[in-house]
Amino acid sequence: MNVQQSFARRGFLRGALATAVLAPMGGALASCASGGTAPAGPTGQVSENNPFGVPDKSTLDAVIFKGGYGIDYVEFAGKLYEKNLPGSTAKISPSTAISAELQPRFAGGNPPDLVDNSGAQSIGISTILAQLEDLQPVVDAKNLEGVPIKDTLYEGVLAPGTFDGKLVAINYVLTLFGVWYSSSLFEANGWAPPKTWDEAFELGEKAKAKGKYLFLWGKEAASYYLELALSSAIKEGGDEVRVALENLKEDSWKHPALTKVFEALDKHVKAGHFKPGGSGTAFTAAQAQWSNNQDALLYPSGSWIENEMKDQTKADFKMMGAPVPTVTTSPKMPYEALHSGGGEPFIVPSQAKNKAAGKELLRVMLSKEAAANFAKTKLAPTVVKDTVPADGFGSTALVSQTKMLEAAGKNVFNWQFLDLYGMNKDVLVVWNAFLDGKSNAAKLAEDMQKMSDKIRNDASIKKVEIK
Amino acid sequence: MTLPPATVSTRGGGLSTAARGRRKPSLDRISFMAVFLGIPLAIYLLFVIWPFLQAFFYSLTDWSGFSPSFNFVGLDNYARIFTDDLFLKALGNNIILLIVVPLVTVVLSLILATLVTVGGSSKGQIKGLKNSSFYRVVSFFPYTIPAVAIGIMWGQIYDPSGGLLNGILNGLGLNFKDYAWLGNASTAMWCSIFVIIWGFVGFYMVLFIAGIKGIPSEIFEAARIDGAGRLRTALSITIPMIRDNIQTAYVYLGIFALDAFVYMASLFPNAGGPENTTLVMSQQLFFTAFQRGQFGMATAMGVVLAVATLIFSGLVFLVNKLTGGSDGGRL
Repeated sequence: MNVQQSFARRGFLRGALATAVLAPMGGALASCASGGTAPAGPTGQVSENNPFGVPDKSTLDAVIFKGGYGIDYVEFAGKLYEKNLPGSTAKISPSTAISAELQPRFAGGNPPDLVDNSGAQSIGISTILAQLEDLQPVVDAKNLEGVPIKDTLYEGVLAPGTFDGKLVAINYVLTLFGVWYSSSLFEANGWAPPKTWDEAFELGEKAKAKGKYLFLWGKEAASYYLELALSSAIKEGGDEVRVALENLKEDSWKHPALTKVFEALDKHVKAGHFKPGGSGTAFTAAQAQWSNNQDALLYPSGSWIENEMKDQTKADFKMMGAPVPTVTTSPKMPYEALHSGGGEPFIVPSQAKNKAAGKELLRVMLSKEAAANFAKTKLAPTVVKDTVPADGFGSTALVSQTKMLEAAGKNVFNWQFLDLYGMNKDVLVVWNAFLDGKSNAAKLAEDMQKMSDKIRNDASIKKVEIK
Repeated sequence: MTLPPATVSTRGGGLSTAARGRRKPSLDRISFMAVFLGIPLAIYLLFVIWPFLQAFFYSLTDWSGFSPSFNFVGLDNYARIFTDDLFLKALGNNIILLIVVPLVTVVLSLILATLVTVGGSSKGQIKGLKNSSFYRVVSFFPYTIPAVAIGIMWGQIYDPSGGLLNGILNGLGLNFKDYAWLGNASTAMWCSIFVIIWGFVGFYMVLFIAGIKGIPSEIFEAARIDGAGRLRTALSITIPMIRDNIQTAYVYLGIFALDAFVYMASLFPNAGGPENTTLVMSQQLFFTAFQRGQFGMATAMGVVLAVATLIFSGLVFLVNKLTGGSDGGRL
């Protein structure tokens, strides 16, 4: 009897399980987690003070990447926003994993009104391009001081957020790329930052004589050398190099300018100008070997490097930046030309409930008071001009950034394809091997070309034409 | 004096309730079924079965993960991932992990478990090595550290210039200056496997100790009287008596080896290790979903991963059964 009973119970369970498996299959499958199109939320009265028509007493929902810059600068702007539109509320939430956290909200049709799409886990912009607001009205609008925002911005800062001719992201932080060094160390030894790859090689030999290296790298940041190589090649070969790469053209990685730069780097690798072991070193540890131990003279990076290494920089390390070396003394773009990108891209999803509020907060952030607050508290310039005083708040790196920008003038460039097509992971593998001496200039070009071809030939990846 | 009648009446009452219940379902019985069967079943359906089905459905689409709409593409995603060299490479790496990690971990923890339980002096009572409780505690330590912390810690130990490992090797007079253990294709995978095994041995040792403690010591004593040595005892008594535990351990470790995301992601942030030698399927899945925005393809990878896990578990059960183990085991 006991056995029978147990069988009966099992039978019941089995039956229940079978029903469980079969029940949801009946047609419900098609109704997945996707949402419909969002209604065009309520709009408020448009006025001089409220150019986008934020509804009265509405709540703004902003999700901000919480990384090196924190979120307090947006909260600061949020206060100004609330003061400017009495009765409204600005809800600013931090996130460290933008993509994973916001994916359900995008798919469900209720994304936030403003997103700082930054960090290692940012959303690949090409996947959401069609779901983003055109932000041209924001830069066309006047800031809180009454000056059109587009007249207050640095040259070329809107380019990184423009795709297919549509401005979908405004990068808030101005980022310059170059090679960084200690001016005190260089002065003490009578060295100067190299202007060409030949000079760089000479400097490498001098460093060797002092028991130092010219360069070093960390495994997660091997891609900084790709940045260095691309900047140098674009200056040498002109804008055509960049355009071909951006549009994943055949043999774009075999352009003579790139070949020469790769060969120059290869020469450094083979001559032992790179500190060995970078492919097994955490990038923070590697960077400290440069800023604290001074094992290497130069480090290619973005202008965030000073802030990033603040606690691990030697006391008398006067950090300065210089443009990357060129191949010849007569490149198509001058030596002073710069790769100027943007950090912290802010986007406004089209399906957001209160997108006018998202744009309004951006307008406040791009106004003088909020931008000056950012520069002062983060020691980094925003895309808004004239927020850094001549003494750079006492930072040599910040002063040199301003100088580099002035010297470059209109000669600034930027590329988008690496982020656009999410290539970073594969780039790291190839560049770690190259810097480790396990490959060579020709193989490097071939590996990069293969990566580019794979994306070009994959019909499921949406391509964006870049000019 | 009161005890025996009480027991009898309880048993009698239990029987009569069961008999009554089968004839006409009472409110008590229905509510019992609702709470103990209905609710768990509903939760299981909603949070396990339904997501599984959804995942399979999405794997047949070109959903980007962020858009509200998508197209049905049939088995296209599957065809593509099985011709993608990176995914196949990741699959291969998972298979290496699947072969090495469970085998080495189980063998190692079995040896350790035997040593601290029955490997002691061959005179007197059956016992482990001297101070065995100390070894037991020490070897369990790594399991108490979160996997991410283990990854970061070993990343530092393997560091080429300032790491403990190279420091020791150089101190011994070997020339390992600046050798990047995690940066070379020939060593990266084996160094990672070592870290994973290091993290797991303690736990499985404790699992096996519990199993061995469950074997009556008379059996060990009888074997010893018959002249069996330590190795003979281990092979002919310990292993057959705890084979269900071993099967469980094997399945768990195999499932882990097919995932391995946490260790690989913390040892090799943002990438797949030198020449992708440590790239695992779950990492490729994550990159495809969140960086490339190809959720349809990523869920297809997830389905492949799930199927691989099922096949592996089935194989372990089959092997255990074919070699004379009990049916089902204690999983």
